Order: sequence, then structure tokens, then C-alpha cells
Amino acid sequence: MMHYLRVWLASARYSIVRTLMFRGDFFVWSLVELFWMTVNILTISVIYQHTESIAGWSKYEMILLVGTSMLIQRLLMGFFWSSIFEMGRNVRTGNFDFMLAQPGNVLFMASTRKLDPDGLVNAVIATAIVVYAARQLGLHPSFLDLALYVFMIFCGLVIHYSVLVLSMSLAFFLRNSQGLEGGYFTLTEFSRMPRRAFTGIVARWLFVYLLPVVVVSNAPASTILHGFDPGWALWLGAWTLVCFSVTVLVFNAGLRRYASASS
Amino acid sequence: MFASLNKYRHAFLIGLQSNLVYRVNFVVRGFFSLFHLAAVFILWSAAYMGENELGGYSLNETLTYFVTLLILQFFISAFNEDYQISEDIRMGLINQFLLKPINYFGYRFSIFVAARLVTGGLVLIPLLVAMPFLYHLLSFPAEPWRIGVGLGAMALSAMIQFSIAYCFGLLTFWFLEIQGFVILSMAIESLFGGQLFPLDLLPPWAYAISKFLPFYYQMYFPAAIFTGRLSDPTEIMHGFMIQAFWVIALLAVNQLLWVRGLRRHTAVGG
Repeated sequence: MMHYLRVWLASARYSIVRTLMFRGDFFVWSLVELFWMTVNILTISVIYQHTESIAGWSKYEMILLVGTSMLIQRLLMGFFWSSIFEMGRNVRTGNFDFMLAQPGNVLFMASTRKLDPDGLVNAVIATAIVVYAARQLGLHPSFLDLALYVFMIFCGLVIHYSVLVLSMSLAFFLRNSQGLEGGYFTLTEFSRMPRRAFTGIVARWLFVYLLPVVVVSNAPASTILHGFDPGWALWLGAWTLVCFSVTVLVFNAGLRRYASASS
Repeated sequence: MFASLNKYRHAFLIGLQSNLVYRVNFVVRGFFSLFHLAAVFILWSAAYMGENELGGYSLNETLTYFVTLLILQFFISAFNEDYQISEDIRMGLINQFLLKPINYFGYRFSIFVAARLVTGGLVLIPLLVAMPFLYHLLSFPAEPWRIGVGLGAMALSAMIQFSIAYCFGLLTFWFLEIQGFVILSMAIESLFGGQLFPLDLLPPWAYAISKFLPFYYQMYFPAAIFTGRLSDPTEIMHGFMIQAFWVIALLAVNQLLWVRGLRRHTAVGG
């Protein structure tokens, strides 16, 4: 365990030094994420200029939900995105050989190699949005609720991580995995909506029950808004275990197929 | 005159062929867009719960707007033209155009038109598949003039879309990496181009400002004509004048960046 922590810290140190070398890049990418978060919040604000509620959720409840969804996504961007995104390309070009020669579990090495400080900066801003919305709603969550919220965010991060690794693992089976990350972004659109918005049978079954896109954001947001609900917690916990297990299985199966593409 | 245009006809035909090679990718992308459309439908249906109108429009009118937007995106949006131009500059492929009697903008634009005809045609396939579920939700206005006027606005919108992508591509003369700028601009374009919500839902002062920005004419203007959100002939005429201004202004910026950029260009590779 300590060995992996040391390896991760070395990677993190390298990423931060690299960011300090390309300060302009860091600034532009921080702005990119900040702009997209602003765009999402503005969209919600514009809709609420014309209506009182979206599926029974008030404006600040909705901002808290969107902020929660963005927080999970920014954490994914900060800790894993660059490494996982590169994974697909490396499998295709044969550069993935490098990962096999690393001192540790291949999935860990391949998915934690790079840290993006811009994503982490924006995770702080997403947290500030959640806190702002909670204050506007006059909420005073207990310490236990906050601890549960943090734990559920962690579960959400594991689910997002698993979905992204799963999509990129397809590169082991397909020749071209370019554009697969687009599927991930499409799915995250659904995680910015309250569960009650899914009224149609198909939409409810697909996005609420068959895919973990709604539970990922709704479970932590509901904990802050309405307190601990064992149903949500169990549901999220089960999804976290299922997603991570399936991802590890598929990744390892893909790894067995990997034959390297270099000469 | 026609002989000099002939080379662009060939560029157009090559563009058609090379895009048809990726036809399956485009159809798959079209099917992915249906998921985006589903997200839009779910969100707006939830916003309309207990309301008959938002901003003076019914749910069906708003959904019709988003379906129109999806079709327009595939017909006139710049997909990866900025990256292609950037790649040409970075890899030195642009050198060959400097030695031949062909205008690089004209060449790229011919390929862009061909590409959009292919992607626009192909997105109709997933939409036709989804039509049994969609048609009862759509409510297009009946006036036939909207088609002609809307197509004119659409053509100018395509020029604006391409010119903005071309500008970003040319930034490679100054910056090695343009991806950050492109995604940053995408956020602004999505917001002020009306891709996230119909712009007339903005507060009146913000809507009035948006009408002077190029993004309004990138997507919202033709979509609003097709779907009946714009009906006043004077307002549409004003819109066309501002749209034409932005086409000319962006073409001028393109030319300026091209001339200035070439001065910095060191013609690596080729």
C-alpha cells in the first residue's frame, strides 16, 4: 500500500513540475473547465427565470445537484482523465508496453500516471458552488451527513473512473477506440438531472436503473438536502462494486489480448 | 474564371469521397446525438411540468427547436476543421499550397462544404429511425417562406462557422497547441449560439446584446427562422444585415491572420 502511495506521489510531483513549466497551458485549461461549469450554471439559471421548479426541484436544489455532478467530474479530470485518455492511444500505438514494465499493478500504473492540477482547481470551485447552494437553501447538514456526502462522492468517482476505463479498454478489442470518450460525456449529461425528471418508462429504466448515471449525483445531493437515506446509499454502494469489478475483469481480459503494435 | 473554379470542384469531390469513407462513424455519431437529444427532452419536459408555456413557447415548440438544432449542427457546424488546419501548419503540409495556384481558404472551404453535405445527409438516418417516437412532439410553423429564408441564413451561418474554425486553425502559427482555445470557444459558442437553451429565454437586455455577437448567427438565427421563434420581417432583415457583416468581418480576420501568420511560418517539412 505504502509502495503505491510513494509511486503515486512521485507521479504527482512530476505532474506538478510539468504544470509549472507550462503555466500558460495550465491557465487556459483551468479557464476551459471554469467556462464549462459557468455555462451549466447559467443554463439552469435561465430555465429558472421562466419556471419555479424542474421535476419538483427548486433553483438552488438544482444548482446543488449540478455542482455535485461537476465535483465528481472535475475530480475525475484532475486525478485520472489524462492517463486514461492516453491509455486508448497507447494501446493502439504499442506504447502501452511501457506500462507493463512499471513496478506495480498495470491498471493502477496506467490510470494514475498523470495529475491535472487544473481539474483539481476546478474541483475546489465546484465544491464552492455546492456550499453556496446549500447556504442559499439554509441547510445545516450534520457531520455524519457531510461524511456520507464525501463517501458518496468517492463512490461516484469510482463509478466514473470505471466507466471511462471500461470505454477505453475497448481499445484492446477494437482497432480504433477514438471518440469513445464522447460516450462518457453524453452519459454525464443525464447525471445533472433529478431522478424524478425521468418520467418515461424507457428513460427511467435505462438511466435510473440500468445505468448508474442518475444515482451517482442524486444520492450525494439527496443526502445533503434530505439527510441519510439507506436506499440511496445501498444502491450507490452496489453500483460502485459492480462497476469496479466489471472494469477490472474487462481490463484484465483486454490485457491478455494485448500483443503490442510496435516493431 | 470557371477554369480557376474547377480546382475547387475537384477539392469538393475529393472531400465527398474522403468523408464517405467514414460514413459508419458519422452514422454512429448521429446515434450518439440521439442520446444528447434524449437528455434535452428529459430536462425540458421536467421544466415544463405544471407549465403550459416557457417564454411564450409550448414544450413541443421548444423540442422542435432542439431537433432543428441537431440537424443544423450536422449540416453547418465545423467539426474538426480547426484541427485539420492546425495539423497542416504544424506538419508543414501547408507548404505545398504556397507553391501552387490554389487559395488555401478556398480549398479548405470546398472540403468543409463536401464534409457537411455528407454528415448532414447521414444524420437523417438516425433521425428517421427515431421519427416514430419524435413526430408527435414536433410542431413546425406552416409558412413556406421560412424554408427559403432559413436556407439563406443557414448558408451564411456555415460561412461564420467555418471562418471561426479557420481563425482558430491559423492560431497554430503563433501557438503550438490550440485545443484549449477551441474548447474554450466551444463553451462560449454553445451558450451564445443557443445550443443550450433558446436565446429568447435570456433576460431581454442579454438577448439584445447577443444579437450583435457572431455566435447568434452561427446557429440560433437559422434555427429561429425555421421554428417560428423569429417572424417579424424587419427583425429578420436586420438579422441578415448583421450576419452579413460578421461574414465579411470574419473573412477579413481570416485574411489578416493568414498574411501575418505566413510571415512567421518557417516551412518545416513539406
